[in-house]
Amino acid sequence: MTATLTRPLHQPSRIWKDAPAFSALTFMIVAALIPLLAAMTLDIRQFQGDSVWLKPVKFHLALAIYLGTLVFFARFMPDATRASRRWRIYVAVVCTAIIAELIWVGGAASFGTASHFNDATPAMAALYAIMGLAAIILTSASLVMGISIGRNRATALPPALHLSIALGLILTFVLTVIVAGTMSSGTGHFIGTPLTDARLPIMGWSREVGDLRASHFFATHALHAVPAAGWIASRTLAPRAATLAVWLAGAAYAGLVIALFAQALMGLPVIA
Amino acid sequence: MTPETLFQIANPIPLIGWAMLALSPLIPRLSQLVAGLIIPLMMAVLYTALVLANFAGSEGDFTSLTGVQALFANPFNLLAGWVHYLAFDLFVGAWIARTARAEGIAHLFVLPCLFLTLMLGPAGFLLFSALRAIPAMHRTGATP
Repeated sequence: MTATLTRPLHQPSRIWKDAPAFSALTFMIVAALIPLLAAMTLDIRQFQGDSVWLKPVKFHLALAIYLGTLVFFARFMPDATRASRRWRIYVAVVCTAIIAELIWVGGAASFGTASHFNDATPAMAALYAIMGLAAIILTSASLVMGISIGRNRATALPPALHLSIALGLILTFVLTVIVAGTMSSGTGHFIGTPLTDARLPIMGWSREVGDLRASHFFATHALHAVPAAGWIASRTLAPRAATLAVWLAGAAYAGLVIALFAQALMGLPVIA
Repeated sequence: MTPETLFQIANPIPLIGWAMLALSPLIPRLSQLVAGLIIPLMMAVLYTALVLANFAGSEGDFTSLTGVQALFANPFNLLAGWVHYLAFDLFVGAWIARTARAEGIAHLFVLPCLFLTLMLGPAGFLLFSALRAIPAMHRTGATP
């Protein structure tokens, strides 16, 4: 079936109307990568075997992708919700949490010290706890948007695609909170003690011991994977079969994340 | 890279902007783009990176002259301070050229102001402000 979209998908300028604050913050996070990458080339200090600036760079990339995706999906929320006062207040709170998180991670890097798992001083330990709350707040945006989009009957999307967007957003929150919550309550992202520095390229996950960051990565990307499956299903299958396929894809993706999570908890690497 | 190498790379770049400002009656828009925006932004990125990479671990503070002296004892911070001059002096130079053009001040009078701003920053700003205060300096009907 061919979907008749009342609102064109490919219209870059509409993001400023759909999600002005999220769009502006996405732009600022990307722009901040310029001085961060310059600092990375100038600064020889290392933290756990990488440049101290690698972690802030990763956080900027990850949060820009997350926020940019929310910007894109915001168009499927009810217009009245996006125009409401309580949504704007909520968006301000989420943006504050994201900015706080990035300043904390970047600030710790500039001092060449740890941000997460840092209980060296009472102040850093307190900050880590507050940033855990900020992380939940910023992740909750996917839950709130998933529910809002799921309830919206005026999206004009094919049912399977509509379901997949809502389901992907909600899964991002649920799976991320489970995985990242467990990770943050421990002493570090490793389960086990790496003896060598064998790691996967780019992602940097350990190839020796359990690394909870792998399941965190896949948990957070549910908002991409499940809608991608829904998009394909809605174009290739009959409506009812497509809806079923989305439910199955969501379950399979959640299963994958849980499997990676369990594997890491058992102290096993993703790929040895 | 050592601070000395970075200095050798960064130091000549603003001279391109200053040369363009000297010729700004011929290339008003290009000189403003390069001297008023592009080169100051390049210096701003370098400055920000230097500060991110070095400030946190440095001795010193901003509250006493001794504290500032301690801060600039670190060659990377000293370089950052110099890049700060490079960025803002050129930015002020571009503002001088732009303001002079808008107010019809003859370029012949602007040139010494630009040179003084290049060499001694605030002294050039002072000279330009003094020239600007003289009513006869402003050519009537010369607004762009």
